[in-house]
Amino acid sequence: MTAHTYAYKDPILTLNNISMSFQGEPILRDINAQVLDVTRPNMKQGQVVGFYGRSGIGKSVLCRIMAGLIRPSSGTVEVGQAQQAVLPGMVGFVQQRYPLFDHRTLFDNLLVAAQRKYGPAEARQHVSTYLERFGLTTHARKYPALLSGGQRQRAAIAQQLLCSDHLILLDEPFSGLDVAMIDEVKRIIVEVTTMDELNTVVIVSHDLVTTTALADRLWLLGYERDAAGALVPGATISAQHQYNLAEMGLAWHQNVEAEPEFAQFVEHIKDEIRRS
Amino acid sequence: MQAVLNVTSFMKTLFAPNAQPPRLVFTSMVAAQVGLLLLLWLFYPMQLFPSLGEVFRSLGDLITSQGLIQELWASMTTALQALAVATVLALLISYLTALPFFRPIAYAASKMRYLTLTGLTFFMALMVSSGHQVKLSVLIFGATVYLVTGMTSVILTTTQEEMDHARTLGMSEWRSFYEVVVLGKLDEMLEVVRQNFAIIWTMITLVETLYQSEGGIGLLLYKQNRYLHLDGVLAIQLVILATGAVQDYVFVLLRKVFFPYSQLGVA
Repeated sequence: MTAHTYAYKDPILTLNNISMSFQGEPILRDINAQVLDVTRPNMKQGQVVGFYGRSGIGKSVLCRIMAGLIRPSSGTVEVGQAQQAVLPGMVGFVQQRYPLFDHRTLFDNLLVAAQRKYGPAEARQHVSTYLERFGLTTHARKYPALLSGGQRQRAAIAQQLLCSDHLILLDEPFSGLDVAMIDEVKRIIVEVTTMDELNTVVIVSHDLVTTTALADRLWLLGYERDAAGALVPGATISAQHQYNLAEMGLAWHQNVEAEPEFAQFVEHIKDEIRRS
Repeated sequence: MQAVLNVTSFMKTLFAPNAQPPRLVFTSMVAAQVGLLLLLWLFYPMQLFPSLGEVFRSLGDLITSQGLIQELWASMTTALQALAVATVLALLISYLTALPFFRPIAYAASKMRYLTLTGLTFFMALMVSSGHQVKLSVLIFGATVYLVTGMTSVILTTTQEEMDHARTLGMSEWRSFYEVVVLGKLDEMLEVVRQNFAIIWTMITLVETLYQSEGGIGLLLYKQNRYLHLDGVLAIQLVILATGAVQDYVFVLLRKVFFPYSQLGVA
């Protein structure tokens, strides 16, 4: 286990007392979390943070709230160094099935995103750069229906990066992928976070091991119990379920899954999940 | 022996669920089915049904002495005119469903396909002056209500994921609607138009008998029916069927040319 030198700067994403109910039924309750800009000497180090939760706990709802697509019943989401209230388009959001515009070629899909921030010539230049960076140049003229799952996912991430301001949200990025594909996604995430100091990838997933291996912060969504031992409705993040993996010496390791401390930590989390 | 085995395995593909027989096998099968149908027609001793020869003779007569081609052209131009106007109207009504204020209009338009054509022509005749306009307005109305039904159901297939995707790219609500619903489903709208073009042909034959001044293939069919020229009726029906098949083919071609992504990934 190697602990790297790091420091924290300004907040990049803040969730303040987020609660969400649908037709009176609480789904999320009093969620607080803050992602800080982490810096490491002599390198560009973006952030990878994970929200873990069991299936059906309300992760996708939390994603849509963080992306500004729905307003929470109460609480606020603030993003960027200016900590502005989130609006749609401020946070890149790659949904589970990696949607792209099926009626546009891959190049046009990226171009439509890039045009939001850049002029026509500059946008084309950026698109070419991203296609190259994500290994998609040879597929530029293809329609999304002709792309493989991995290519589609890379394209969806590139599209969101081209128009969002550093912050990108991945909803279940490892769901249904084989081992090789998971490695590919992990490589892309590391690539994204080393492209720019402020780039931040938020992973919302039920894949505990992969999420933990990539993240430098981890929050566990679960249910709390009241004094009588009954479950309190609405998933939340308890104080004891917020983990700073950088502080624990488990962040930014090449092959962290092979380390015994990592395995112990994952076991500990599994116990926590079973208990809740 | 090998050849027999090959034929047997090809034959099996024709009866296996979701099988994809080789192109040559499929084409041969279609040719055989058409041939069988023609043989049945040639040799089946049914007195009421005109023979193939009689139908072809009647077709020749209809073309040379009764102006079948001209009448067909007259009907087709009217049908295309009606289809063009109805498509624009239906698209407008369907797209306006984005605004809650206009949703009842689309709902009402869709339900109006239950109105009978005969009752409708009476009202149209009161509203417009010439016979041609009555014909055209009835066809436009009839086609529009069917098109609105199909088009709104296409719009309703839009998922939250699709809209969210556009929104996360920073698109406004109108821009998201334009990208996802208008641009994204234009190919499906063309398919709705193709499917509903047949309705116009069904209506046009009826409307032309009600307003006979301009002729048309419907009137020709009516006359053949009236004098019990079954060979002529069948000949005209076959011409309408062939025209419809050509139209369908043109629409498929248009879809391939303008929306090349449309059929990708279809099983």
